Amino acid sequence: MSSSPDNKYRFEEAGASDDSIQQVHAQLRKQMPEKAHGGYPFLPLGVLGMMCCAVLFGAIYLANYSIRFDPLVVNEHAKREKPGAIVQAPVSPVMLGKKVFGTICITCHQATGQGVPGVFPPLAGSEWAQGDEERIIRIVLLGLNGPVKVENKDFNNAMPALGTSLKDEQIAHALTYVRQEWGNKAPEVQPEAVARIRAELGNRSKPFTADELLKIGK
Amino acid sequence: MNPIDKNARSEQAEIDASAKWPVLVFFAWAIWWLLAGGVLQLVASVQLHSPEFLAGCAWTTHGRIVPAAQNALVYGWGMNAAFAFGLWLMARLSATTLRHGGWLFVAAKFWNVGVILGILGILGGYSTSFELLEMPRFVTLILLIAYAMVGVWGITTFSIRNTENVYASQWYLFGAAFWFPWIYSIAQIMLLKAPVRGVLQPIVNAWYVQGLYGLWFIPIALAAAYYFLPKIVGKPVANYYLAPLAFWWLAAATALAGGSRLIGAPVPVWVSTLGGAANFLLVVPVVVIALNLFGTLAGNYGALGRSITLRFIFLSMLGFVGASILNFALANHGFAAIAQLTLISDLRDWLILYACFSTAMFGAAYFIIPRLTGREWQSSSLVKTHFGTAALGIGLLVVALAAGGWTQGHMLNNESIETGSLFGEMARELSVWFTLRSIGLALLLLGHVAFLINFGFQTWAMFSKNSKVAAFRNPPALSLTKVSVTEGHA
Amino acid sequence: MKNGLALFLGVFAIIAVSWAGVLLAAHKQLGSLSQFRDPTDDTLYPQRMSGLADEGRMVYQDLGCATCHTQQVRHEGFGADIARKWGQRPSYARDYIRDKTVLIGQSRMGPDLRNVGVRLGETTSADDYSDYFYKILYAPESVASGNMPSYKFLFDTHSTRDRQPSYLALKLTGKSAPASGYEVVPSYRARALVAYLESLKDTYDYPTERSLNATAGKSTEEGH
Repeated sequence: MSSSPDNKYRFEEAGASDDSIQQVHAQLRKQMPEKAHGGYPFLPLGVLGMMCCAVLFGAIYLANYSIRFDPLVVNEHAKREKPGAIVQAPVSPVMLGKKVFGTICITCHQATGQGVPGVFPPLAGSEWAQGDEERIIRIVLLGLNGPVKVENKDFNNAMPALGTSLKDEQIAHALTYVRQEWGNKAPEVQPEAVARIRAELGNRSKPFTADELLKIGK
Repeated sequence: MNPIDKNARSEQAEIDASAKWPVLVFFAWAIWWLLAGGVLQLVASVQLHSPEFLAGCAWTTHGRIVPAAQNALVYGWGMNAAFAFGLWLMARLSATTLRHGGWLFVAAKFWNVGVILGILGILGGYSTSFELLEMPRFVTLILLIAYAMVGVWGITTFSIRNTENVYASQWYLFGAAFWFPWIYSIAQIMLLKAPVRGVLQPIVNAWYVQGLYGLWFIPIALAAAYYFLPKIVGKPVANYYLAPLAFWWLAAATALAGGSRLIGAPVPVWVSTLGGAANFLLVVPVVVIALNLFGTLAGNYGALGRSITLRFIFLSMLGFVGASILNFALANHGFAAIAQLTLISDLRDWLILYACFSTAMFGAAYFIIPRLTGREWQSSSLVKTHFGTAALGIGLLVVALAAGGWTQGHMLNNESIETGSLFGEMARELSVWFTLRSIGLALLLLGHVAFLINFGFQTWAMFSKNSKVAAFRNPPALSLTKVSVTEGHA
Repeated sequence: MKNGLALFLGVFAIIAVSWAGVLLAAHKQLGSLSQFRDPTDDTLYPQRMSGLADEGRMVYQDLGCATCHTQQVRHEGFGADIARKWGQRPSYARDYIRDKTVLIGQSRMGPDLRNVGVRLGETTSADDYSDYFYKILYAPESVASGNMPSYKFLFDTHSTRDRQPSYLALKLTGKSAPASGYEVVPSYRARALVAYLESLKDTYDYPTERSLNATAGKSTEEGH
């Protein structure tokens, strides 16, 4: 017929009818392999063993790396036991202060803390920033007006009062950041100190002047 | 020749006659999409080693060509071919004719108009950017309506079957016919109609992609393998009693395996772990299916030389095993840390879509189409070209994507290469693999052109009066005793 | 499996279990994940995207940027994302609740973009982010090497005769510069896209996620 070598791919001959495929396989489904020499057939046992292994390994894997099915965990090597109460990892005042600085102070004093020569005084290396906290807390709370000498350069500008828009903690954090960034080295400012000075100032709203401040503190 | 055989024979002719036009129309659309998608894919591949190629126009920018090619191949070629093959096989195995086939033309038109609009939508800038769901929202309904017509036909054909028994291929076809519309509509609703928030979107997307490959393309390919092996070799499937186990286990585990695509992603870690565990479980059905299929071929490898269908099915079996191994590897943290997000994860999906599914459909087409047209393939050299380019192209692509992806993964993870120069160096290192991929894709495209020409010749021959009508031998009945193929090879 | 109904029920059960077990369960857990209120400054994180950036998200989507770029920083010990400074910390589920379409991507033909708004670890030293983004979109080879295509179609090139030069015009030099008397101006879509890219930055480190995700056996307490 058509299966001569030169046109063997012209069409495919079927080796079995559909009907017989159905019937034979229906029979085969019920037919387990014959037991060889009275022993158990190897294949079904092998498949059973494989099934058990797969389920076992799957279960161990799932138990091991699902980390309590916690929706917020992305790391499969995270701690498996639940951290008792979620310990809020401590955030340093410097980190918090950077955020305040980054939204407010940065406009004039710049990210580098260098200010703008002749317009806005620098904070990096500044004797004011690293000096007595009594002075700088007052500056932030009520602002500073008029001439001021920073790092031997004269400035004459106005810093706005921020006491109403910032909370004690925010002021303390921002100042701490300023006192410990860019190579500055000065102790932290505590929120309590800000609260105390805020209370001392009462209803005063007039900005400070540099001369006035120099009389306070050391 | 006994009269029962004769009856079966004329019944089959009747079934083939009823399926003729719908199946040919679906195949014609499929082949057209195969070429269109292949061209787009080739363009996208060339753009990776020559980035300026067609970059000047928004319609052909790389980010749009890639999803357009993928969608053309999946929804254009893949679905149409699966429809053609699935409807035919369902009718054959249910021993009933495809009734009221006219509705299937409507379905074919709707489906393909939907896909055309979808692809134009992607190229025109309406992509949703969800993998394999990039087609704009408005085509969803068209596609679902068209699918409903095809799916209902498949299921109805099954439920009015004239056979007492149900064969393995039918389980796979039946399952796939339900799974696709469910996962597709769930994904559409959860991503586009009433979108879920945050990382739930990638989870739904990964679930859908895994489902589309694992619960649609792989079952269709397996239906073809389970059918054509005994059909051509003339020998029953080896260890067939294990086949139902493999079917249920494969489906259940695949359905849960989607999370493994999100390994390392910012989703709850249990999602990817569950996917990984499901991938362990997939080892069982893959081994059983391999025992079934390769066991049937064992001792009959000579049959591969005689049958082009069997050779394509053999490629498909290799593709299935290869894709399963790669899928398993990608579910492991150590391997995924390197291979995830590189060409290797592309390779996994490509292996399923092309090496496993498409080759099975080519094999099926070489068997089915002459039976529908009643004509032989007009050129056996074109058939040989198609098979040769497919085998060579698959080999080249596997090498290119695996080696390229491995290099890519190692470079990405090598922190001593500065990020600023990383991608320049990577482009240089990978350009040889990208070029190799382009060559491979061009080869495949050549094979597809050969396929199209042969298909065209054949439809032409069908209408010309003086072409030779193919005379098929009456297939012998399958017997439980081992039958060698050469027997009855008259 | 002679019985069609049994087959159907099995097929249905497989999808039902998978849907409920993966999608519904994840939705139950994460569907109402909310912004985190920072206790010190009462700000909600992740912060919302500007309108222009959200339009840019759509441009990102329609140009298919996700084909080559991911937006996910994988945790330490999984790839080199952190070492490459693609983020100061891994991405968490909460980061993505601000995105209307979550585009974590699945291919790294190009760099990860999740924190491209702060350009961590980029070696280019251009001060102006948007300038850099416009340049890489218009003429990628002028600022970076690699196989990124040009997106010239997002820009208008027009003559500067009889008109004021645009303040948005790109400062291009060398091969990519337009002919003299012409300027290259980003279109609205380009501006939206760049606004979106600039909005990509997960700088806030959620304390809950940080402590939950600490690798076992490693101390978590060091801050950044």
